[in-house]
Amino acid sequence: MRLPRFDYLGPDTLDEALDLLATHREEAKILAGGTDLLVRMKKGLLTPKFLISLKALNELSYIKKENDCIKIGARTSIADIIASDLIQKQARALSQACEKIGAVTIQHYRGTIGGNILQNNRCHHYNQSDFHRSGRQACHKDGGKICYARDASDRCNSTCQSDGATALMALGAKIVLASKGHERTVDLANFYTTDGIMPFAIESYELLKEIIVPAEGGSSAYQRLAYRSAIDYPIVCAGVLLKLSASQKNIIDDARIVVGAMSRSPLFLAREASSLKGKKLTDTEAFKKAADASMNSAAAFAVHNVGATLEYRCVMVSEMVFRALKSAAQDAKA
Amino acid sequence: MDKIDISLNINDKPFEVRVAPNDTLLEVLRDQLDLTGSKESCGEGVCGSCTVHMDDKPVRSCLTLALEAQGCNIKTVEGLANGDDLSDLQQSFIDHGAVQCGFCTPGMLMSADALLKSNPSPNEETTRKALSGNICRCTGYAKIVEAVCHAANPHDRCPDCKTDNNSGE
Repeated sequence: MRLPRFDYLGPDTLDEALDLLATHREEAKILAGGTDLLVRMKKGLLTPKFLISLKALNELSYIKKENDCIKIGARTSIADIIASDLIQKQARALSQACEKIGAVTIQHYRGTIGGNILQNNRCHHYNQSDFHRSGRQACHKDGGKICYARDASDRCNSTCQSDGATALMALGAKIVLASKGHERTVDLANFYTTDGIMPFAIESYELLKEIIVPAEGGSSAYQRLAYRSAIDYPIVCAGVLLKLSASQKNIIDDARIVVGAMSRSPLFLAREASSLKGKKLTDTEAFKKAADASMNSAAAFAVHNVGATLEYRCVMVSEMVFRALKSAAQDAKA
Repeated sequence: MDKIDISLNINDKPFEVRVAPNDTLLEVLRDQLDLTGSKESCGEGVCGSCTVHMDDKPVRSCLTLALEAQGCNIKTVEGLANGDDLSDLQQSFIDHGAVQCGFCTPGMLMSADALLKSNPSPNEETTRKALSGNICRCTGYAKIVEAVCHAANPHDRCPDCKTDNNSGE
C-alpha cells in the first residue's frame, strides 16, 4: 500500500515545530512513531499536506520525578515506559497498559505515549480500506451523515480504544498542550469532546508536550479484554486507582474507576468509585457492587462497532473492573 | 513534494538513494536497493513480515518513512549471514524445520535476532511474547519457537530435539 503524497517537515527544536504548526494548522499532522497515523493515511482516511516529524525532538523524550508528580515527555517510547522502574512502582496501571499496546516489534520502539493518547477513535465501519468505503455512503466520521453503528444516530459513535489513555485517566493524569508562545495544562478527563469525529479537545495548532501523572501514593491496576494478546485493540478495558486512608492502612480513602473502549472517550465513573470510600481492602463484595454499577453506567454509551457482541462486552465491563480492583487491592496489601 | 537525496546505512554499508517523502523504508529497500528479503504483506504493521532493525531494535519498515531512517544503522535479513556462513539462528531455523512457505521467515528472523541479543537463551514464554507481532500463515509456530529457543545450541544437533532431527533422515 502506498502512502498518499505529502511534504515532510523535520524541525530541530520544539519552538520550530510549534512555528510550523502555527503556520500550517489543519493542513499539517504531527508524526511521532507513525504506527497509527501512517496506517490511517495508507487507508485514505487522512491526507495531510504536511507531516511535521518529531524525530529530532529528543527534548520530548523523558521520564522524571518532580515533587509529587511523574512527568513524561509525549514522545517517550512505549518501550521506555515499560522499562521504567519509577512508573512500574508508582503508576503501575500505566506500565500494565503499555505492555498490552500492540506488539513488541511494532509499537514498543516506534510508538509513543503521546501518540497512544491521541490515537484516533476507531469503528469497524470506518477503519476500512478506500475500496470498502467507496461501496456505500460516507458515515459521519468520513464526512457524511450516516452512522452504520447505531441506527438514526445524529453523531459519530466511534470508540476510543487507547490503552494508555484509560490507565492515565485512572491515575488522574494531566496533559500539557503547547502552542506557539503558549502552554495550557488540562485534566485528561476533560480532554475529550463528545464527538467521535474529532474526539479530542485540542486545537490544530497545539501539540501534546507532556503528561503529568500524580504520584501521591495509592495503588493502581489495568485490565483489558482483546481477541488476541498482541497487535490488537481492547474491546473492553478498565483502569482503577485505590488510595488508602492515612490512619488505617486497610481502609480505602478514595478510588477512581475508568472504563475504556466502550465509548467515544474513556469513561470516568466517579459515582461508582465513590461507593468504595471507607470500605476495607478485603471487601470483595463492595468491589463486585462497584463493578456491576460500572457495567450499568458504561452500557448506556456502548455501540456495537469494535467486535464481539454488545451484550458480551457489557458483561465483561463488570469483570474487568472487578479484576482491576482486586489486583489493585492485592498490590496495596503487599 | 520533491524527491530528496539521502544516505542510508544498511547492513554496515552506505547507500545513496533518492526518495520521495511518502516512500517507506520497505519500498526503498525492495524497489531501489534490491534488498528483497524484507517482505510486504499487510502493509499496515500487523503481520511483521517487513521487520528490520533500526539501531538494533526491531521495527516495521512498512510504517517507517525512508526519510526517518536516516542516521540509523539499519539491518535487514540479508545482513544476518556472514557471506555464505549462516548465523546460528538461521541454521537453527533450518535444523528445526522452522521454514514452511518462507514468507514470514525474514520477519521472524529479525524479531528473534533482536530477542537473542538481549537474552541469548530465552525460554518458550519469552520467545512467544517476542514473536507475538509476527504472523505465520502456515501456522508453523511450534517449530519456529523451538528454533529460536535452541538457537544457542550450535549447528547440526541440538540435544533437546535430537529425536526430531534424526527422524527425518
